[in-house]
Amino acid sequence: MAQSHLMRSNRRIVITGMGAITPLGLNVADTYRGCLEGKSGVGPITHFDASTFPTNFASEVKGFDLAKFITEPKRFEYCGINGKFGAAAAEQALADAGLRPNDPCGSKADRTRFGLYLGSGEGITDFDGLISNIVNGLDATGKVDAKRFTETCLKVFNPLHEAEQEFHTTPAHLASVFDLQGPNFNCLTACAASAQALGEGMELIRCGDADVMLVGGSHSMIHPMGITGFNLLTALSTRRDSPQKASRPFDLNRDGFVLGEGAAMLVIEELDHAKKRGAHIYAELVGYCSTADAFRVTDSHPDGRGAIACVKGALADAGISPAQVNYINAHGTSTQVNDRVESLTVRKVFGEHADKVPMSSTKSCLGHMIAAAGAIEMILCVETIRNGVIPPTINYDTPDPDCDLDYVPNQAREATVDCCLSNSFGFGGQNTSLVVKRFAD
Amino acid sequence: MLSPLGTRRAPVWEAILAGTPGVKAITAFDASSLPVRVAGTIADFDAKAYLEKKDRKQLRMMARPIQLAVAGAWLALEDCKVDKTTLDKTRFGVLYGSCMIPSELPELAEPGKLCVIPGERVVNTKKWGIEGIPAIQPLWMLKYLPNMLACQVSILHDAQGPNNTITENDVAGIMAFGESLRILERDRADFFLVGGAESKINPLSLSRQCLFETLSKRNDDPEGAHRPFDRDREGTVLSEGSAVVVLEEYEHAKRRGAEILAEVGGFSAGFDRARDGKCLARVIRQAMAAAGVGPGEIDHISSHAQGAPITDAWEAAAYREVFGHNVPVHALKGQTGNMGCASGILELATAALALSTGIRPATINCPNPDCGLVVTSGHGTKMEKPCVVKVSLSQLGQVCVVVLKAIQ
Repeated sequence: MAQSHLMRSNRRIVITGMGAITPLGLNVADTYRGCLEGKSGVGPITHFDASTFPTNFASEVKGFDLAKFITEPKRFEYCGINGKFGAAAAEQALADAGLRPNDPCGSKADRTRFGLYLGSGEGITDFDGLISNIVNGLDATGKVDAKRFTETCLKVFNPLHEAEQEFHTTPAHLASVFDLQGPNFNCLTACAASAQALGEGMELIRCGDADVMLVGGSHSMIHPMGITGFNLLTALSTRRDSPQKASRPFDLNRDGFVLGEGAAMLVIEELDHAKKRGAHIYAELVGYCSTADAFRVTDSHPDGRGAIACVKGALADAGISPAQVNYINAHGTSTQVNDRVESLTVRKVFGEHADKVPMSSTKSCLGHMIAAAGAIEMILCVETIRNGVIPPTINYDTPDPDCDLDYVPNQAREATVDCCLSNSFGFGGQNTSLVVKRFAD
Repeated sequence: MLSPLGTRRAPVWEAILAGTPGVKAITAFDASSLPVRVAGTIADFDAKAYLEKKDRKQLRMMARPIQLAVAGAWLALEDCKVDKTTLDKTRFGVLYGSCMIPSELPELAEPGKLCVIPGERVVNTKKWGIEGIPAIQPLWMLKYLPNMLACQVSILHDAQGPNNTITENDVAGIMAFGESLRILERDRADFFLVGGAESKINPLSLSRQCLFETLSKRNDDPEGAHRPFDRDREGTVLSEGSAVVVLEEYEHAKRRGAEILAEVGGFSAGFDRARDGKCLARVIRQAMAAAGVGPGEIDHISSHAQGAPITDAWEAAAYREVFGHNVPVHALKGQTGNMGCASGILELATAALALSTGIRPATINCPNPDCGLVVTSGHGTKMEKPCVVKVSLSQLGQVCVVVLKAIQ
């Protein structure tokens, strides 16, 4: 491309709809209120018998029934629970924005300029099927016999369930159900996925590829393979005697994260488009950056190299200085390394202002919704701007000398918040930061 | 590039021009119980050849698609002759399309044996928690995470710029390409490795795909199994591959004296909800408008060509709507089979090579085109016009288009 094509867009992007299915509630309001009250969504795992796993607890969504949210639940019958959470949250967000296909504004909107960018997780492996097929496909010497194994697979696996595990199904279902004919993306960058979906979705509107985007994430890794994998990496808390105390970001005695699950969706829109149709504007999305640590697949860079560049890049993109940030929603996973490196990152970027910026981790209440985490955290930032109350970091009992910022310990705090930074850092070193501001014309 | 047609640019391009078939009978394992026994595979792949000695121990943390991705990146960097030390690492981006990575069976056989009574179809999860989990290697999960293609490549080459993983099956490669283009246009990077890599030629993936995908069962004629737009097409053929292109800001490429194969004119994407080709037609027009060209400047279409009855038909409908019968269609999958997210990038690379050499490649396995298209055939012919349209789509309706232009 020629140099002359390089450009900074002046199109502004606003948030006009939100939806959430989380361990603390089946909508945005209950989720935010739960966080303010310092509730924990954590309990014993009920999706399967995890009683003997090193981690037998998680932050599960409770009382969820897709039929209560959409009129066509049968379409999602064989989807993983992630797809179902996604459908419900998308319905909420689009209804909130008044942009479902049959809504008065929705029917008038140009659906070809309405796209979708999800950070939607994979479907859920048929654990019993896969493992038993392997065992039943072994030869007399205990080696996998491909012929026996494939025969067993063809008999045992459910074709519809297998088809729905493919990565492009959730974005395709949502685009079909809600008639979104614009660009249709799905990314999976571990814990950063839906934050990255928001950022890149915003860029698609900025550059003119779309006027409206449904963006967000949906995920559940609370299944035998998920817990097995994270337990093997020793990434999960194993505080079996007090699970509700297990997610304790920035606390000295943190021992890993707690898996959550759910979905969070936002409708983002070009400002003039939103104004013309008289949409309610929640906030303005003003900054985004993505970087890579390029260090190790297992650990963050110890000096926060990629994270620092990411936070700085997002602030620069937003055109604001660190002093203008009133609240940081931390990645704050409650692992030793993440929380230390994230605190260091904020201190390095914010300098002396770091002591004045409240930074909390809502993962202390919700657990880690993995691919859906970035989107729910953005929604909580928006609610914080609207309501003027910052959600706390719960379970913060013992300060860690390596984590010396203001984490809004245990109690929600009233404050005027006009501008928030939200960080998401993924396994493998993929970093994403977003900046959201109170909307002012 | 690594593909059933060979490895590295020159041999692959030669094979494309020679019309060499890449699909063969499956020999990697005993596939005799499967209804589909043909596939495209990469012969004698040894990932160690594509890593510096100090990095080779990382391979045990990489399932085959990740190893293929790493090899593809190595080959692309070698091919573009960049001196990596001159790159601004914070503006060096990596974007990959990635698929579901299948578990390697022996790793799960040991814990499985402890927790499943042979003949039964359930796992004793109580036993799994106590005996199963410790029987698996600690870093097991990292071998299979789809974002590890882009992560491992960024680590090996110290690429600290924008990094993303598009997980969207057959469109993932070109969607990653489009996103990289936008990032370069907004001046957040100078230099990108954009790739796709996947491998479904193993007992687990093939069994699963046989259950839900329309596949060609032409087991007695492997080389003719994938028949793009042909009257006798019956389904796609799964293949493995890895393709990576270097996408670079023009002045940056010129300054370092790079060989420029083609210029990117435009990108567009959408969702063809009705799967009738109308949205695809719109997206093609948008991409051409972005490139500032019309149908009269398109030499040929580098098609998706799933090889499945219904999908090829709606793809063709879009081409007829936009181009009438005037623009020839090339379908590389007749030779390579369907390498999923790697196919999009390999086909894009092929289009770029066509533009740089002036040769329009021929399609194999389409003796009787039935979709109202002119499909290239026989031998490569001289190109007449300065642009190629590259299309990728998924059977569920995701579509994306890139317009490439010859360098003046």
